[in-house]
Amino acid sequence: MTKRAEVALIVFAAAIVAVGTALVTLTADDRITIDTAAAAAAHLAAFGGLLLAIRAWAPAASRLLLPPVAFVTALGSIEVFRIDRDLGRIQRWWLLLAAVIATGALLLLRKPGVELLRRFRYLFLAAALGLLLLPLTPSSWPLGGATVNGSRLWVRLDLGDRTLSFQPGEAAKILLVIFLASFLADRWQALAAMPRSVGPIRLPEPRQLLPVLIAFGVSLAVLAYQKDLGASLLLFMTFVLLLFVATDRLTYLVAGGVLAVGGAFAAAAAFEHVAVRVDAWLRPFDDFAGGGYQVAQSIFALADAGIFGAGIGNGVPYLVPAAATDYVFVAITEEMGLAGGMATLAAYAILIAVGFGIALRAADRFRSLLAAGLAITLAVQTLLIVAGVLRILPLTGITLPFASYGGSALLSNLAIVALFARISHEERS
Amino acid sequence: MKRAIRSVAVTMLGLMAFSVVWLTWVQTRAGAQYRDDPRNVRAFEAPAGPSRGRIITFDDVVVAEDDDGTRRYPEGRAYAHIVGFDSSSAQSGVERTRFAALASRHDGSLTAWLLRLLGADLGPPDVRLTIVDEVQQAAVAALGNRTGAVVAIDPRTGAVLAYVSSPSFDPNDVVSGELSPTDEGAAEALLDRVADHVLPPGSTFKVLVAAAAIRAGLNPDSEVEAGSSYTPPGGGMPIRNAGGEGCGGNPISLTRAMVVSCNTAFARLAVELGGDYVVAAAEAAGFNKAIPWETGAVVSSIPTGGELQADPPALAQTGIGERDVRVTPLLMALIAAAIANDGAAMAPYVVDSVVAPNGEVLESTDPRVLHRLVPRQAASALTEMMIAVVESGTGSPAAVAGIDIAAKTGTAEGSGGPHAWIIAFGPADDPTIAVAVVVEGGGSGGRVAGPIAAEVISAWIEFAR
Repeated sequence: MTKRAEVALIVFAAAIVAVGTALVTLTADDRITIDTAAAAAAHLAAFGGLLLAIRAWAPAASRLLLPPVAFVTALGSIEVFRIDRDLGRIQRWWLLLAAVIATGALLLLRKPGVELLRRFRYLFLAAALGLLLLPLTPSSWPLGGATVNGSRLWVRLDLGDRTLSFQPGEAAKILLVIFLASFLADRWQALAAMPRSVGPIRLPEPRQLLPVLIAFGVSLAVLAYQKDLGASLLLFMTFVLLLFVATDRLTYLVAGGVLAVGGAFAAAAAFEHVAVRVDAWLRPFDDFAGGGYQVAQSIFALADAGIFGAGIGNGVPYLVPAAATDYVFVAITEEMGLAGGMATLAAYAILIAVGFGIALRAADRFRSLLAAGLAITLAVQTLLIVAGVLRILPLTGITLPFASYGGSALLSNLAIVALFARISHEERS
Repeated sequence: MKRAIRSVAVTMLGLMAFSVVWLTWVQTRAGAQYRDDPRNVRAFEAPAGPSRGRIITFDDVVVAEDDDGTRRYPEGRAYAHIVGFDSSSAQSGVERTRFAALASRHDGSLTAWLLRLLGADLGPPDVRLTIVDEVQQAAVAALGNRTGAVVAIDPRTGAVLAYVSSPSFDPNDVVSGELSPTDEGAAEALLDRVADHVLPPGSTFKVLVAAAAIRAGLNPDSEVEAGSSYTPPGGGMPIRNAGGEGCGGNPISLTRAMVVSCNTAFARLAVELGGDYVVAAAEAAGFNKAIPWETGAVVSSIPTGGELQADPPALAQTGIGERDVRVTPLLMALIAAAIANDGAAMAPYVVDSVVAPNGEVLESTDPRVLHRLVPRQAASALTEMMIAVVESGTGSPAAVAGIDIAAKTGTAEGSGGPHAWIIAFGPADDPTIAVAVVVEGGGSGGRVAGPIAAEVISAWIEFAR
């Protein structure tokens, strides 16, 4: 892709935001408001700024990276604004802040490269665990935990007259991937060597596995306590897949699979909020007014949409609970139809393919594992929520990267894009 | 490591592809079942769009309009069958057929937005009917609470000027829920007796037998056999005249047979012309075929020529519009209109145009010829005979002061008393209105239906002046 094409696609995404936002206000109020200009300007500033930062500090990076991100962010921001205008306006500021942080990451890494991250891996591990524990702090503290929708995975910062909430788990996922990539890049041989065997099953030295087991044991325990099924599954699968990638040993994949299936059954039996999800997945219409309501409404929304959808502003996406977060993909599909849904999935496929491509071409093992880990995170997260809202799998509440409303998610996902750009750049320099 | 990355990547992208396939299936194949699920309230939850347009008569009387999101019908019962209703659960009449046209064209799409930038008026358009309120109200008043139908057509264009079915209902009651269109008790009132109901035409059918006779070479002065009684070959009940007497001589002219509505003459004529001739004349008039009509019309029917030829008693009764002949008042009006229009039937229509709020005509109906009933000369011969019917025959109650009216009456057998029919048009030298009237179980065609036709024609002449 030429530089000009990349710029054109970024501008095109901003144009989509402008047209979509205009249609939302035209349909509802019959007029175009300042929101149209504000949304397009925020989009252009965020992605234009990020583009300039990449040109400046990671000039050799793949130019295929930013356009699909700008595209899905555009569709998501239109629907978030359409469902709740205030959320849409807040999301613009989050987008700008996320672009600033991603730019800051590129600036920070411009001299030392991602190698810098490798050196501080235990700091990252500690930070990740700290962030994961943060929501468990008492709600009465100025920086305290908060329970939203039955899950305690939020932190509320009390700023006097208003509060700012965020999900530290979103940032923790990157920190854990950085730690794991760094750790596995050094220790992979020990983990791949399987000197012990129990019957036909060959096992590595337990000593080698200990840090890994502690890492995901603690994070999973914390997440189970916080009742966040989606993040729990995401972290677990990222760990298992990255372990498999680093060692090339199917043993980890099989063991992970067994653990996941066993864990899923155990969770369904032990936690009521998990059992409700499974029931809603299998029989959404049996408890239409109760547990199945969200899934049933989502099915209705998809069924009503057809090929081209109701049109932006003409659907009723707000009938699905959590439309702006978990169900933003359904909102996009309801109003933009199968065509919009397919375009969204295609953009994610491109992004994921580019991410794995960067991993394959990376300069060394650490960079390769880091890119693969980030690509796996994005892919698993996208698949979990898309499969959840489409009823391929039970719904595990998690955001759709870049598209869902949520500041912390946007911050960490754009940071992933910055890391991708940097790893991609370093492969050629 | 690279091999493992590749396999993970391929698996992830494969799962994405699977999601696309699944999404396609849910939205296309599985969709229909969920769209119709009673718990799917999305259709009702959809944001109330901009209001719907009005339905107005040709002379600008509002007959349907939006009132705070629900439909209101200022003229109530008078227009119930043609305008219909638009309630949350059902639509009928023009409200149903022009449902889409009455909606705002501003659907929130990009196209609509661009059109508006170019200055188009996308507000909800009005539907203008061809019906003239003065004529409609005259027809409603003249028919009163009797069961029947009145329909008037401008023979030059096919524009429907009045469309009345009785008993009627108040569409406002349907909107408010007081009247459920699916109630059995509502069926009588909801029935559109103009286009959805057939009756034997009685003697009005003699016009078509006369048309067949003219085609066979007769003229208004040709002498035809008439007596006080006629028994067709093959026997059966002898055909008699109303009152059981003769037709004032034997033989008599074809005109005379029309003027006194001579049953024996027309029954014999039908048998002598043969089934094929009679049926051909009827089918040329629109029997046994679908008549295109805004709200749909049932087919008027007559047996085949072969069937009638094989059964002379049935053919004889067919000649006086009885037995198995069934016709809608709409088609009878169309027959009168065709004769009035030099033999050519114009396709009937009731929507004149669809007009945007700024007056821009978005759509208008162009008159077109539907079919030819008879050649021009035959049409003027029939007109001549029908003028005589009003001047000195059974149609005299249809006379209107100052103009010549052409008409043919009919008194058809009905279980609850004879159905009173008349078809008429005027002014006879340059017709601008053709009317069909039926009063079910009303009695004698001339005496009962004639004055109704006269009222309707007078109202129109008054309006046109």
